[in-house]
Amino acid sequence: MPLDGHWASESLGEGHVVFNAEGIHCGNCARSIRKTLGELEGVRRVEVNVVNNRVSVDWDTSKLALGRILGQVSALGFKPVPLVGEAAAQAQQTERRLALKRIGLAALGSMQLMMYTVALYAGALQGIDERIAEYLRWTCLVITTPVLFYSGAPILRGALADLRRRVLGMDVTVSLALLLAFFASSWNTLRNSGEVYFDSVAMFVLLLLIGRFVEMRGRHQAAQVTDALAKALPATAQRIRSEDGVAERVPLAALRIGDLLRVNTGQVIPVDGTLACEGALIDESLLSGEPLPQRHVRHDAIPGGAVNAGSALTVRVSRLPGESTLHELVRLLERAQSERPRLGLAAERMASWFVVRILLLTVLVGVIWQLIDPARAFPAMLAVLVATCPCALSLATPAAIAAASSRLAKLGVLVMRADAVEGLATVDTVMLDKTGTLTLGSPRITRIETADGWDKTEALRIAAALEAGSQHPLALAFREHQHAAWQCEDAREIAGQGIEGTVNGQRWRIGQPGITLSDDRGRRASFEVDDPLRDDATLATAALSTLGLQLVLLSGDRREAVQRVANTLHIAVVHAGLRPADKLQRLREAQSAGRRVLMLGDGINDGPVLAAANVSMAMGRGSSIAHAAGDLLLLRESLQSLPEAIRVARRTLQIVQQNLRWALIYNLAAVPIAALGLMPPWVAAIGMSASSLLVVMNARRAGSEPAAGDDP
Amino acid sequence: MMASMMLLIPLSLLMLGAAVWAFFWAVDRGQFEDLEQPSRLALEEDQLPTADAKIDPHPHS
Repeated sequence: MPLDGHWASESLGEGHVVFNAEGIHCGNCARSIRKTLGELEGVRRVEVNVVNNRVSVDWDTSKLALGRILGQVSALGFKPVPLVGEAAAQAQQTERRLALKRIGLAALGSMQLMMYTVALYAGALQGIDERIAEYLRWTCLVITTPVLFYSGAPILRGALADLRRRVLGMDVTVSLALLLAFFASSWNTLRNSGEVYFDSVAMFVLLLLIGRFVEMRGRHQAAQVTDALAKALPATAQRIRSEDGVAERVPLAALRIGDLLRVNTGQVIPVDGTLACEGALIDESLLSGEPLPQRHVRHDAIPGGAVNAGSALTVRVSRLPGESTLHELVRLLERAQSERPRLGLAAERMASWFVVRILLLTVLVGVIWQLIDPARAFPAMLAVLVATCPCALSLATPAAIAAASSRLAKLGVLVMRADAVEGLATVDTVMLDKTGTLTLGSPRITRIETADGWDKTEALRIAAALEAGSQHPLALAFREHQHAAWQCEDAREIAGQGIEGTVNGQRWRIGQPGITLSDDRGRRASFEVDDPLRDDATLATAALSTLGLQLVLLSGDRREAVQRVANTLHIAVVHAGLRPADKLQRLREAQSAGRRVLMLGDGINDGPVLAAANVSMAMGRGSSIAHAAGDLLLLRESLQSLPEAIRVARRTLQIVQQNLRWALIYNLAAVPIAALGLMPPWVAAIGMSASSLLVVMNARRAGSEPAAGDDP
Repeated sequence: MMASMMLLIPLSLLMLGAAVWAFFWAVDRGQFEDLEQPSRLALEEDQLPTADAKIDPHPHS
């Protein structure tokens, strides 16, 4: 097996790998992988996700080689496949095609079998030549054999793997039913008397396969989000040699901090860096979902994974490839996706509890019928076994959560913790941070006044040139107005006064009082700087109120500034002048009053508050994503995703509960009917499969429902 | 009656075999990879569908 850079990342002796393990069908497969890998020396953490077949392992590279880990997984009967690149796409395609072929054979076989079986049933009622009946039964046997052993192979193999690990999974009861029905029918065919159930076998295989196919499509779609991110990074970069300025192609691993890279139009920026040319048009849609390319100027931080939408540009490497924004994002996402939600765990436990009871019940039913009417014992046992399979129960939650996660990702909201969807659905209070959350977090120039009708643009350009080198927070407001034609070489900061320097041969000073630009004749222009609200803050808070959520504004800012924002946004509860510890205090008070709180913050200085909230969402932009403490990450510069995300989460929870309720009701209702012998095996097969299919389809609603005002 | 059954049932099995073979052939040729895009491609004026577009396993949606 090739072990290239795609497989694992390593830093300071700690290895981290996420891969797909083909063949995981149920909680038991996952449990056995967790157990086996957990027992290896040097393994620190193992997470296995049943929904997308992902295994994530952290290990000590000095004690263990990656090959051992992958070898152990193969030895358990699962096939490790890398997540990204050609191999992953190939594996998905192969899986999909094989599944389609299996369904195709089972479908065509079932149709044919149905025709022969109708003849047999009609014959049994009206009388049939015994030789023809025998002939038809043999024909059925010939068709059912490939359907069971080719199409049904994944089910049988799953059962075998379960038994080898001494666990009872869903596949065990299903396979038991299939094999019992098949061999009993074959035996009856051989001795030429008694019932045959070939049509039931083929139909059950077909319906099970359809259920699994739908579930597989959902899994592949959920995986596509991370795959798209991971695939975005190129393998090489064009480095500009400092000696002669010639660009040379080097592998990403060879890059060092401070290297100058050239990125052509339409190419992906390979690492995090700062812009080293005048200006650039950058498309960050992959990272943030923000559809429009953004203007950036010299020294702006550019995240790796963004696309150069303008002319060729140069960037200076500020972080190594393994630590770039995109890599961190992919790693966090992979970790979140391989974590199992609490909800899913409960359903999984319930399913394995069911399997044991079903087997006991089946034996009981068989014994009782043997005493009453031995001829009806076998069909009744078969019906119980088939009708009560808890497939629907164990699929209900993971399928819905996966669908919701990919829907949220399209809204620019990344689910970083598996429980976050459930948390988001049940909050009743939203606490909002002001600076950087409701506001842009970067000051903008809101008003310019010039003396004697002087051109405002020119005043702005000169001020920007003076402020270019300054680290003052307000200076950031001028950064976007810099222009190549106005440069200041000798800018000098005078403490408490402002900045002085020469622009285009003239002396200028910018600073007190307020922000005033003056030359030796006196004041020429003044600027007002403010941190404005985000464009859609009003709409977003209104939408949140409509959802019945109480809004609370927390801020460390001055009372008046905070109150002004609160009035604009119609937020009733306002706490101003808070230190981080005070924010935490307010949060705790709300929680002890029984409220479930969603905290929305910028993710840097709200760390503790975010961590203490029932569920938290961090603004993913502008800060290093790795430090964001949120359960959810808002990657888009649009607060409107928040109410939409809550709507999606509420819907998802509703769907999960619907699913669980349905699966339980169905199983409880079907058992007595089947046990009383009132349900022929083929009806049981349809009932059970239809209920799983219903659950999976219902779960996909969580992801497919197009939001109002969003693209369909 | 028996004689016609002797002929027709093997014939139906052959047809089943042919149908399965045809379906497998179509799956292997990528006929079912993308059920969304080809239907829309017909409506687009300037972009003719290329061979690559048809077998692209990860169409951008």
